[in-house]
Amino acid sequence: MKYLIAEDEIDLQQSIVTYLQRDGNLCEVASNFEEASEKVALYDYDVIILDINLVSGSGLDILKSLKKEHKDVGVIIISANNSLTDKLEGLDLGADDYITKPFHLAELNARINAVLRRGKYGGNELIEFNEIKIDTRSRTAYINDRAMALTKKEYDLLVFFVANKGRVLSKEIIAEHLWGDDSDLLDNFDFIYVHINNLRKKLTAAGAKYIKTAYGSGYKFIED
Amino acid sequence: MEKKTTLLRKTSKAFLLTGLLLTILSSIALYFYTKKLLQDQVEESLYSTEARVVDALKNDKVVYSLPPVTEIRKVNNIGKETLKDTIIYDPSQDEMEGFRELATYEKIDGQIYQITVRNLVVESGDILIAIVLSYIIIFVLAFVFLFFFNTNRNVKLWNPFFKNLEQMKKFSISSNEELQLVDSDVLEFSELREEIHLLTTKVRNDYQNLKQFTEDVSHEMQTPLAIIQAKIDNIINEHSINDKQFEQVSSIQKDIQRLKQLNQRITLLTKIDNNQFIKIEEVNLTKLLKEKIENFKEMEIDYISLHSKTDLIVSMDFYLADILINNLISNAIKHSGPEKMISITVGNNTLVISNYGQQALIHPEKLFLRFYREANSMKSTGLGLAIVKKICDLYKFDLSYSFEDQQHSFSIIF
Repeated sequence: MKYLIAEDEIDLQQSIVTYLQRDGNLCEVASNFEEASEKVALYDYDVIILDINLVSGSGLDILKSLKKEHKDVGVIIISANNSLTDKLEGLDLGADDYITKPFHLAELNARINAVLRRGKYGGNELIEFNEIKIDTRSRTAYINDRAMALTKKEYDLLVFFVANKGRVLSKEIIAEHLWGDDSDLLDNFDFIYVHINNLRKKLTAAGAKYIKTAYGSGYKFIED
Repeated sequence: MEKKTTLLRKTSKAFLLTGLLLTILSSIALYFYTKKLLQDQVEESLYSTEARVVDALKNDKVVYSLPPVTEIRKVNNIGKETLKDTIIYDPSQDEMEGFRELATYEKIDGQIYQITVRNLVVESGDILIAIVLSYIIIFVLAFVFLFFFNTNRNVKLWNPFFKNLEQMKKFSISSNEELQLVDSDVLEFSELREEIHLLTTKVRNDYQNLKQFTEDVSHEMQTPLAIIQAKIDNIINEHSINDKQFEQVSSIQKDIQRLKQLNQRITLLTKIDNNQFIKIEEVNLTKLLKEKIENFKEMEIDYISLHSKTDLIVSMDFYLADILINNLISNAIKHSGPEKMISITVGNNTLVISNYGQQALIHPEKLFLRFYREANSMKSTGLGLAIVKKICDLYKFDLSYSFEDQQHSFSIIF
């Protein structure tokens, strides 16, 4: 996949590039409004990760020009502003998703994958990983073509794992993905073990031993 | 506290009291002065009558006694001259009457006479009463007129002051509405108006600046936080670290999450202050509570019991309703301690959330203050309940806290 990361904070931009490149994606960057406008006009991307507050202009203007030119591209807005109106304006202008700083790269990656599934470019509502198939429309996971009985959280967890395959996911990242802001309610994340262990058992029972422990307290979804 | 009276009442009261005192004192003075004058008059007339009687006696004219007005008696010894009030029988009136009496002794041609002259004092008493009474009536009338005139004048004079005072009562630091201050031709009032204007403008500006600053700070913090977060995400993937390092890095993620929440909550408080939640809809709180409880069950929090007979419908912003419920339940979860039991009771227009607690709070009055934490052991932003309070204030819901039977209870009356 080909991504454009329009973000004026170079450190953040490079971190995103590093994370996304691991799956063999092609990442281009734009560090200011002009550069972003130019690249958007010249090239085609699968997904654009767009900071609203670019140093020399607003990301929303880039969205407007994309809409004008009827470019079919997934757009994820990143913003430091957790404002509902900003969010709605962005989504109204044709953005596919909106993520507020600070965010986990795994979360961004999961959202990119979701956007790709919905989009026309390589759009596929089916996620496949070896013998696992996930139908995101009916929210059902199949293993060797047999439907798995998963709870809502286990399903979400599986999709998140597959989207971030090969990466280490700490309990904090997982908790925040599954429960958002509520995840700070407990001092320990023991309850996550329950969900992960249940999912792991169900997968292992079908012979899919992909969920591995990493660094003692983290997890990694990976092929042997 | 000392009882407060209004300015007009106070001035009126002072005026009335002074008037009353003046009336009493001047009436008394007038009474005695007039009485003295009348008495002198009577005595003068008694002496002159007596002199005429003596003259008549000396000139050998026959003088008849004319009781009770004049009485002449021959006596053997010269007595002392007396002047006194007396009550004797007056045959012409056929009743007892008060008289002023002058008794003198005069030796005329070797014979001693006792000459007694009397004058009726009823008359002078009547005059005295008439004078004092008319005085009082005139004085009171003049005073009443002055009182109403003065009160009226006061009302008009102080009018700009009262109007501006009313305006100041309506002053809200967070609103941008200009105070409608009235100017006056009285220099002091005009100055007061200027000062109020300056002060309120300054207070508002300071408040706005502070609010903007808080908002900016929390906003500006998001990007560096995002960079730290992203770098950590890469560290755990790109570098070979050991378990211990992973543990520490994960713990940093938790702290970032806390900072993120802190920022979000500060922004939320500012937004409520700025009145940015204007969408009002009918929110079914009972339904919302059930959803929340279901969500919490997935987090192994399955000790929340809900007692609700009817659906509680409240008009408010849905997003704020969600935060209100969430913050209250979160607070109960965080402080429920080892006795994991939270009970939520929904009434017709009330909501009570209770959780177990060993002892009452030390400073319940500080409970809804920003960054107030009773115990530091809990990792919290210290803003959850402040937000709850703010939301309740926004919609004028009545929020209260109580501690009874080892239960911390938060009640809202909608």
